[in-house]
Amino acid sequence: MNTRDIVLIALFAAITVALGLAPRIPIAFLPVPITLQSLGPMLAGAMIGPVRGALSQALLVLLVALGLPVLAGGSGGLGMLAGPTAGFIFGWIVAAFITGMLCKMWIGQGSRSGQGKWPQVGLVFVACVIGGILALYVCGALWLAVVTGMGVMKAATGVAAFIPGDLVKAAFAALIAHNVRRAYPIELK
Amino acid sequence: MNGSLNIPGHTLLHRLGAGWKLGALCLFGLILFATNHWIPLAIALAISLCLLASTGLSVAQARKQLTGPLFIVAFLMLATGLLVEPMQGIAVGLRLMALITAGYAVTLTTQVSALLEVIERLFRPLDRIGLVNSAQIALSVSLVFRFIPVLIDQARVIREAQAARGLDRNILALLVPLIVHVLRSADDIACAIDARAYPPPAPPRKRQVP
Repeated sequence: MNTRDIVLIALFAAITVALGLAPRIPIAFLPVPITLQSLGPMLAGAMIGPVRGALSQALLVLLVALGLPVLAGGSGGLGMLAGPTAGFIFGWIVAAFITGMLCKMWIGQGSRSGQGKWPQVGLVFVACVIGGILALYVCGALWLAVVTGMGVMKAATGVAAFIPGDLVKAAFAALIAHNVRRAYPIELK
Repeated sequence: MNGSLNIPGHTLLHRLGAGWKLGALCLFGLILFATNHWIPLAIALAISLCLLASTGLSVAQARKQLTGPLFIVAFLMLATGLLVEPMQGIAVGLRLMALITAGYAVTLTTQVSALLEVIERLFRPLDRIGLVNSAQIALSVSLVFRFIPVLIDQARVIREAQAARGLDRNILALLVPLIVHVLRSADDIACAIDARAYPPPAPPRKRQVP
């Protein structure tokens, strides 16, 4: 772990915080507005790789535990890590790791010249869906099921309402990661 | 991002050591999950509400922090009550509210530096066997603080430049140049840190003199 790794880890933790500061998009009937913050783990995994991406999200969880208002809407503190949605916060670590792992396997070191733009964006999108949505929601639903005592299946159907919005975010994450990598390639680690 | 959530004061919770508070919070959580009866859970919620009130926070601040979680808990209470069993729903609601308010009370009354110290102490055994490096953790935490205002400033600059060219708000057009820019500066920062030889090398171990 050299200094550049540490700086990149801190940078992507900061990007995730900054995404939470962006204006929220309220949706009728839902108590939780859609935020851009869950773009953070997808971007971290897809751009700096599994280990550093997961560490950047772990750093964010540490900041939440320290009581800093780093989550969307200026919330934070130990209350958030004990609440019903804490599985989604811890899940970001897993999400960044799996997204990064898949990107590293499929895209490899730097941009592969043999592939066109859209196949590559497509692969990153699939990685973001599996890591940033599927794995994340498994963590979130399991935690919710344990905390409330309702079955895992019921909890899963409850959180599934947020998947459409996250699919849009995965598409954005794939496009951003691809365009940034074209301008500034980083080895996935 | 306007500083940390904690508020200054000299109440009982403020004076208690951060390590004790964290330990008590963990114990509190375990006890809450051990029971499913509403009477002890209601008592627990009353205790944590008293603790929260004793911190002397303003109503406006409490409302800002607790409205969101309250909505989610109310929704879960309803869902669990309808899907599983009414009593289970009440138990879930009481337990979650007690946990959230107790955690919030600890956060309000503990300074970030004190919590960071506890975390460093927890990491120390791992540091000794070489799994983590607490100096690196401290460095990355302070780097995040440094990066957030930079990101916000840079986002404003890019958005203004794009507005001047008639480009409307567009997430892609904002985030791509923003991230490329900060990645470039990340390399400079890493070089600067290396040039200052940070983190400082560990002090040499005492050798036994024969």
